[in-house]
Amino acid sequence: MIGIKNVTKNFGKLRAVDSVSLAAGKGEALALLGTNGAGKSTLIKCILGLLDFTGEVIVNGISVKADPRAAKSLIGYLPQEPVFYDMRASDIMRFFGRIRRAGPDECAAALEKAGLTEHLHKYASELSGGMRQRLSFAIALLSSPKFLILDEPTSNLDAGGRAEFLRLIKEYKEAGNTVIFSSHRLDEVDYLADRAVVMRNGRVVFDGEPGNLGRASGLGTKIVLRIADADVARAEEALARAGIGAHSRNGGGLLVEAPGGDAVRPIIELTARDIPVLGFIVEEPTMENILEGVGESILEGAGRDGS
Amino acid sequence: MEARNVLMLSGKEARESVKNRWFVLYTVSFSALAVLILSIAPERGALSGGAGYGRTAASLVNLVLLFVPLISLITGATGIAGERENGTLQYLLSHPVTKAEVFAGKFIGIFIPICLSISLGFGLAGVGVALRGGSGDGAGFLLTALFSALLAASLLSVGLLVSVYSRKAARATGVAVFLWLLFIILGDLGIMGTAAAMELGIRQVFVLALLNPAEVFKIASVLVLSPRYEILGPVGVYAVRTFGRDGIVLLLISIMALWTLAPFALALASFSKFRREES
Repeated sequence: MIGIKNVTKNFGKLRAVDSVSLAAGKGEALALLGTNGAGKSTLIKCILGLLDFTGEVIVNGISVKADPRAAKSLIGYLPQEPVFYDMRASDIMRFFGRIRRAGPDECAAALEKAGLTEHLHKYASELSGGMRQRLSFAIALLSSPKFLILDEPTSNLDAGGRAEFLRLIKEYKEAGNTVIFSSHRLDEVDYLADRAVVMRNGRVVFDGEPGNLGRASGLGTKIVLRIADADVARAEEALARAGIGAHSRNGGGLLVEAPGGDAVRPIIELTARDIPVLGFIVEEPTMENILEGVGESILEGAGRDGS
Repeated sequence: MEARNVLMLSGKEARESVKNRWFVLYTVSFSALAVLILSIAPERGALSGGAGYGRTAASLVNLVLLFVPLISLITGATGIAGERENGTLQYLLSHPVTKAEVFAGKFIGIFIPICLSISLGFGLAGVGVALRGGSGDGAGFLLTALFSALLAASLLSVGLLVSVYSRKAARATGVAVFLWLLFIILGDLGIMGTAAAMELGIRQVFVLALLNPAEVFKIASVLVLSPRYEILGPVGVYAVRTFGRDGIVLLLISIMALWTLAPFALALASFSKFRREES
């Protein structure tokens, strides 16, 4: 388990992480979310002992401050922008393999898992961003750490590479290991995370199931319904009578709020009243909308509670 | 600190140093000039009869004073700052290694290639002297090579200290070049100027000279290469008469060691303390 207790990190007058307390248990994947500058990467660096901080980070009972070497030997880390010495990929792997006390066979297996076997002869400067990310992932897997910390792990990968990468991380998590990752992508959070933690201005403003993010943000699914101009007023009235919020759009048709995320009900309501629906588009809230919304709703709630 | 990690990190550092084009240029230039010095020396007469190794070593002293401080200061100064700037330092420290191991590995990994480079220059010159039938003060020749290594160690420590306090490699290089100018080019002038302006006595001038590791190297080399310490001037005469010939050499060796250990310890302490630099 990784336990983070009251971690605070200041850069001069800027408080980058503000009294954050979290815990990630065995077999759990925790997504750290937040807009740029929210404090995710700084928190990750505190967990790794790369930055001085107040508070405590405990990795499997080992304090990162008291024994950083022992704590770091339990963690595999994948940075947002992996940078390496300009050596061949095979030499980089061998070097970090020695540091992490992994044998040649383990290095070879990690490289194969990351799909880099064919690029071993290349120098780091010749590797694409995606390949560097894969190499960093292979290094993170050396000596089978119990904890993986990934800072935007798929930011340099194409769609195919991302899917494969996420599958590997999920496999790792399902083997009983703990994964903490930061991301800007809702689909990754849905696919991987058991818990989502939203940070804003260095503070945790949401800690719960990823499925509850939309509700916490006050944003729901919306549907754009294409309806003949002559039917728009009638449709708006029918939906209002069914308790579904809708308003006409400048470009024609209606923008409808899906009640409880049910995108089909408004269409059923309209067709039951013989109002033809010519087409529809389902609009899910974006990660950016959710992150901003979550922060606001929680902070507003906190204000009402007087806390 | 785990010796295993220090060895591993210094091995990586040494391999990188050897591949560094500036280092290669330095080694080739130093060795080529060492051979050139030998080739332009007068034939047998000058190299035999007790002056062969001594005279060659004396010529190499000036070469060492130009090259060794420059490469030691610059490679030291860019050692930490360069890695910090490109992000490799932070990535390395995210693995189970300590800052002390990284620092020690950096020092050893830069120092050994510089020593190999010095050995190559002195070695080629020494072989050349032997092939031309030279003889003489082989011990002084070897001691000068040893002093060169000590000079490299002391200025490498100073370079690493600069590196720890520099965020950018370019700035660290600038400071290193300034220090090189200060120690090598302005050193003598500074001592002379200060002595004249402040009307310093011989003792104070001697102490002032000890503040510059390059001066210390120069005095030590002259003392082991020349039987006539008077060529060091009144300061040399004062030093030898006060401490004795062996005593002053030991004192100078100790000062070079101090010039290595003090900046090393300060740089290591600062490097371990400054965590924000790695952010």
